[in-house]
Amino acid sequence: MLPTFDPLAIARRSFLHQSAYGLGGMALAMLGHEASAAAVTPPGGTVVPRPDDWNGFLTQPHFPVKAKRVIFLCMAGGPSQFETFDWKPALKELDGKPFPESFTKGQQLAQLQNAELKARGSFVGFQKHGQAGIEVSDLFPHLAGQADRLCVIRSMQTEQINHDTAHAFMNTGSIIKGRPSMGSWLLYGLGSASDNLPGFIVLTSSGKYGPQPISARQWSAGVLPSRFQGIMFQSKGDAVHYIGSPPGVCQSTQRQVVEEVARLNGLLGKEQNDPEIATRIAQYEMAFRMQSSVPELTDFSGETQETLDLYGVKEPGDGSFASNCLLARRLAERGVRMIQLYHRAWDHHSNIEPGMQEGAAAVDKPSAALLEDLARRGLLDDTLVLWGGEFGRTPMGQGSGRDHHILSFSVFLAGGGSKPGTTWGSTDELGYRAVDDVVSVHDLHATMLALLGIDHHRLTTKFQGLDVRLTGVAGNVIKGIMA
Amino acid sequence: MANGREYAARRYAMNWLLPAVLMASLAVGNEPVSFNRDIRPIMSDTCFHCHGNDAGTREAGMRLDVREAALKQTEGGVVPIVPGDPDSSAIIQRIFDTDDPMPPESAHKPLSKEQKELFRRWVAEGAIYEPHWAYAPLSRPAVPAGFETANPIDAFIQARLAEKGLTSAAAAPPHVLTRRLALDLTGLPPEAVLPAGGGSLADAALVDALLASPHYGERMAVWWLDIARFADTVGFHGDQNQRIFPYRDYIIEAFNTNKRFDDFTREQLAGDLLPNPTTQQLVATGYNRLNMMTREGGAQPKEYLAKYGAERVRSVAAAWFGSTFGCAECHDHKFDPITARDFYELQAFFADVKQWGVYNNYGYTPEPELRGFDNEHPFPPELHVESPWLKKRHDRLQKRLGNEIATTTQRLANNPAAQAAQSEWESRMGAFFQSHTDGWLTVDPAEARIVNNGKPIADRQAKMSASRAVSSGKPLGSGEAIEIVSSLDGIPAIAAVRLTVDTAAIEPAKRGDLAGSRLTLSLAIHPAEGKPRPVPLRSGEATVKRPVYRSGFEVPGLSNEWRMPFELPENAEPVAVWLTDPVTLAPGERLVASIGGDGKLPVQLAISPLGAIEPSVVAAAHDRAAITTPASARSPEQAARATTVFLLSTAFDRAAFDQVRALRNELDGLFEGRTWTLVTEATPNPLTIRVLPRGNWQDESGAVVLPATPAFLPGRIESTGERRLTRLDLANWLVSDVNPLTPRAVMNRLWAVFFGTGLSAAVDDLGSQGELPTHPELLDWLACEFRDSGWDIQHMIRLIVTSHTYRQSSVFQPTALAADPANRLLASQNPRRLEAEFVRDNALAIAGILNLEDIGGPSVKPYQPGGYYEALQFPNRDYVADTDERQWRRGVYTHWQRTFLHPMLANFDAPARDECAAARTLSNTPQQALTLLNDPIFVEAARKFAERLLANSSPHDDAGRIRLAYRLALNREPREAEATSLASFLAAQREAFTTSPAAAQKLLAVGHAPRPGFDPVEHAVWTQLARVLLNTQEVITRY
Repeated sequence: MLPTFDPLAIARRSFLHQSAYGLGGMALAMLGHEASAAAVTPPGGTVVPRPDDWNGFLTQPHFPVKAKRVIFLCMAGGPSQFETFDWKPALKELDGKPFPESFTKGQQLAQLQNAELKARGSFVGFQKHGQAGIEVSDLFPHLAGQADRLCVIRSMQTEQINHDTAHAFMNTGSIIKGRPSMGSWLLYGLGSASDNLPGFIVLTSSGKYGPQPISARQWSAGVLPSRFQGIMFQSKGDAVHYIGSPPGVCQSTQRQVVEEVARLNGLLGKEQNDPEIATRIAQYEMAFRMQSSVPELTDFSGETQETLDLYGVKEPGDGSFASNCLLARRLAERGVRMIQLYHRAWDHHSNIEPGMQEGAAAVDKPSAALLEDLARRGLLDDTLVLWGGEFGRTPMGQGSGRDHHILSFSVFLAGGGSKPGTTWGSTDELGYRAVDDVVSVHDLHATMLALLGIDHHRLTTKFQGLDVRLTGVAGNVIKGIMA
Repeated sequence: MANGREYAARRYAMNWLLPAVLMASLAVGNEPVSFNRDIRPIMSDTCFHCHGNDAGTREAGMRLDVREAALKQTEGGVVPIVPGDPDSSAIIQRIFDTDDPMPPESAHKPLSKEQKELFRRWVAEGAIYEPHWAYAPLSRPAVPAGFETANPIDAFIQARLAEKGLTSAAAAPPHVLTRRLALDLTGLPPEAVLPAGGGSLADAALVDALLASPHYGERMAVWWLDIARFADTVGFHGDQNQRIFPYRDYIIEAFNTNKRFDDFTREQLAGDLLPNPTTQQLVATGYNRLNMMTREGGAQPKEYLAKYGAERVRSVAAAWFGSTFGCAECHDHKFDPITARDFYELQAFFADVKQWGVYNNYGYTPEPELRGFDNEHPFPPELHVESPWLKKRHDRLQKRLGNEIATTTQRLANNPAAQAAQSEWESRMGAFFQSHTDGWLTVDPAEARIVNNGKPIADRQAKMSASRAVSSGKPLGSGEAIEIVSSLDGIPAIAAVRLTVDTAAIEPAKRGDLAGSRLTLSLAIHPAEGKPRPVPLRSGEATVKRPVYRSGFEVPGLSNEWRMPFELPENAEPVAVWLTDPVTLAPGERLVASIGGDGKLPVQLAISPLGAIEPSVVAAAHDRAAITTPASARSPEQAARATTVFLLSTAFDRAAFDQVRALRNELDGLFEGRTWTLVTEATPNPLTIRVLPRGNWQDESGAVVLPATPAFLPGRIESTGERRLTRLDLANWLVSDVNPLTPRAVMNRLWAVFFGTGLSAAVDDLGSQGELPTHPELLDWLACEFRDSGWDIQHMIRLIVTSHTYRQSSVFQPTALAADPANRLLASQNPRRLEAEFVRDNALAIAGILNLEDIGGPSVKPYQPGGYYEALQFPNRDYVADTDERQWRRGVYTHWQRTFLHPMLANFDAPARDECAAARTLSNTPQQALTLLNDPIFVEAARKFAERLLANSSPHDDAGRIRLAYRLALNREPREAEATSLASFLAAQREAFTTSPAAAQKLLAVGHAPRPGFDPVEHAVWTQLARVLLNTQEVITRY
């Protein structure tokens, strides 16, 4: 750690006191600005105290706080619900036959526009698992083993049928550029519980079939200050950009540089009365701490072989989904508020059989291991895990695959106050459309925020005269998927 | 000073986030309540959502944004406002109603006691409405009496300060002001941009010199490119490259020539519609094409055209109105009088902009004009233009190539061994020319056969014509080719190969086969025994071809694949020539040529032993003449030519040959200094624009609309049955006297450039949810002055930067804390952290490695962390950092990848430019610290900065060098405490690096810039000191 000397010490005190991750002078502004709006006595009358690890813009929870952090395992490309969680025997029977027009008429299609529509039944079997008897496809034996921890939603719908915009919708609740991502909202609202790591971290890994480009826009803070943006950890090179000191500069000579910068900044501060100077000093200290904490974080040598095997990690830090899942647990332990893992291998317009097999083989074991490991360490109770893609796939075939589909898809929640061993909602007999207990993306967001103790109406920021929020002007909390 | 930090923090807080409501309530004392200042902000925030402009969501039939509506009895039988009688006014009753208050609890927007009282007073005083300040007609306010100063800006500012009992700060010291001006006007430190001793230029001359600098245009371009959402990539999904840099050149040039803002507006929005538009005016229309685009499979053209159209409205409104039209895409604006109809009428102006919704010819949605497109293709329509930067580079390179050839030829001419070899080669050539006067041997395809992966197919015969053209008769399958085997009698070597499509041999009915067809060629030498050796095809070119693209950019020449255009000229005679690696044939060796592709075209194969500088001039008449003229009879020009052809045909001097070829290939890549750029092309059949209910592009129930300016603004112009308004009409209207919004919006944003905050802080929202300007009269005065000066940006900048308000010290005056904690009244200047591009430019300029020679040109690639583009597909992207002088160009030229903006830029808050970005946030993060500490460009800058300090002959001592470092970095002398502190830092670093000289070497190895030979330990130590300085707050801030 740095020796304390005057400017730094002051900065650190104020820093820790106010701190959201990457706090600038503006955070104080934000507290001052929004405190009046946030400090409203809840309808029940009693003021709920602010949880210890909350230090963002919200001064008190609106609901009981069940989850403290979120891990979003995003299956980018849109995995098929018919080969994961939505078992449709009638579709199987119709396999290869014309798909009834009564279902599809007037609906938006992607690559199947103007094509002849034929039903494609699931190519895998499904079994019931766990006490609740949740149907899970045979491609996911490890997740099936976690059935009693899952809250499977089979009635998801989204509004966007193309990847780019559908990801934007899933992450920000809007396709308008500049809307903050879910992780940025959490960081803004709750602050970070880590003082040496970014509070919103994104990891990506890819697979063999159907790779999907993913834009940094997906973890953008949008109109929120940029310190709330997600930080992408790279699997190649330095995990975090510019985290390594220059070649030839050891920790001690680097520290001398940081200290000298602080000293000169401190001298400047005495003349200028510029609050940015104190913040800058604090940020250099944070940066220097990150230079040690990030390598420590990504060093798996302290993990047991049993743990590595549980996740199926072959080579620690190889950027595989397995390695990233283990990293996700380590991030959760360190108080990171939002952890988002992309697995970019689910766009199966063709070759859905090998594609799903390959994809499932890559994510099934690590996803299940993450739930198991979090549970063993007592972290699953307050960690909300979301697993799913940006949309689903058609019950109609497209060559050897399936096209994009927005009227029905499946995701699951686990931990963090979600209702374990549950299924929610259902689709019609061919799985074309969610019909019962339909859950929109806004509903999902509203419910997740509720589990985090937040009323989605009240996590807002002003932009161009509007109160912008994650759920736009919609969103209903789905009580049935809350424990 | 105990509470210094506190007030400073508060001040900063206010600067950014002070809500309009608070500002307003601060302003009210005993003066009458002002609707615009006091009431409208509260109403807009708490009433208009349900009682405003949007009829769709209006509750209880009550409308409060228009006075005559608010005075009328509602359907529910209440009168919202009774002027002069608060107690009878329904709104006053309800806001004071504790049981059922307005706004309702569910809105989470309770009014404070003070706000309620304000409402009561306002109604009591007669409930006077005022038109929204930004939409009101513009007239020039009088300069406040009693404050007549040389500069009217100061009069407005000081009058307001005086009201609060405040005064301006003293002028900043000259060294501070010089640095401030240099950074604000050029984005560069004074030392880099001013002539030696320029820092002491008289003030007015200093401003003139900076405005006259070509770097002024680069600096202002950063401002406008955010607004224009300029980027190098299309933004959606695969985020492919688009070709558009000439537009940036146009912008830089426009600022440097001080183009009138009205012309600037017309050219960007409608340059193509001006009479006889110049190339530059067409390039300017790239503005309309800077919306994000997609090529994603499965995307619907119509949906994306709707998205593009809507974005264009948002961006144009943000740029020229400073207004937010976004909401009106789906419904009438709730807070401002903007209707959905206004939105789509504005969109209709752009309905003629030719564009495709999805940039590919997918089977499910054919786009015939995009035939053959894939992920590597550009995004038409584009214009072919000359780029001064490319042309200069091209000419320089061409000269270099000429010199290289001349010196090599001279060297060979003076080398007896070369002379002997050349003469022996010439005699063989002489023999060849006797039977092949044109220098080409047309290969006899007698032994042609159809093969599959090299194996002959038994029942397939190649077809031969009398002209020795060969074809496969029917289409070739995958792996199949026509193979021609030839012993090449009579040719001593191979240096070039030619394919000619024998159009005469094509039946007239089958001429259509030619269009879009493809041919491939590969050559190998088969010795009598042993393995065949391939003959690599080098540079190739064809008379007609379909260009090949890689990641959006054309690849020069031909690879081994030759594709015909889909549209061929009537009498096209397709010929392709490739240069090969020169090959000499041994006795018994045979040439095997494989011609693949569609296979149906009759083609002749010919070989030449002559090389050339480029394929199109192989065996040119003057080459042949030079060689066949006896050496003794050659003119000096012929002698040189013969030697050159000898070199190019035989690679006798391999190193020289390779160098010539490499230079030539580089030259080919410059396309004669020409490039393509996105432009607006007006289609004669504009898209039909409808009001889309809830913005749903599939809903065709809305009314069809024609171009018209927004109904809520003065001087509306509308299309009629006879005349559809154009983009040019819109542009003319925007810069006409009737439109008050554009000059206000532009001046408000320009003010923010020089003071950190706009006169209305919400520079992107001059609507009712924005902020009433702190100095409404000043803003109107500036807007009038701007318009009346002939839309003269430099005139306005000169007025601003010569004002005392601009020139005063940026040290916050504690005495102003109570009255003006956010410093909105400007009792001092505001410090401003440099924008991302200038953080880079400033550091590189201090280091002396910033490339200030070049202005304009293609985007460049600074060092970037490896693997950053890993998640970019369609196509996969490989980022290769520049290693030549492009590495040290200014930030404005950085390749702008919308989905993965360069981390240095992103970390310092540069926007992705997905849409118009009128204001950048200014954050202060650990990422910024990591970037300045560890990004190789800043480490390299520190190394070069250290070299400047070490190279300076006097003084040699530490203290002298520290003084020099401060002068270069900050234009000032170090304070004693700074010098002392750095001296001990140096000592500590010296100790560390002296014990580890290897570490010093490693540190000095960072970056491509040349490394002069200083003592490594001293060099490393000073590099560390330079890193310290480049990381200080003062260096990255304009004080």
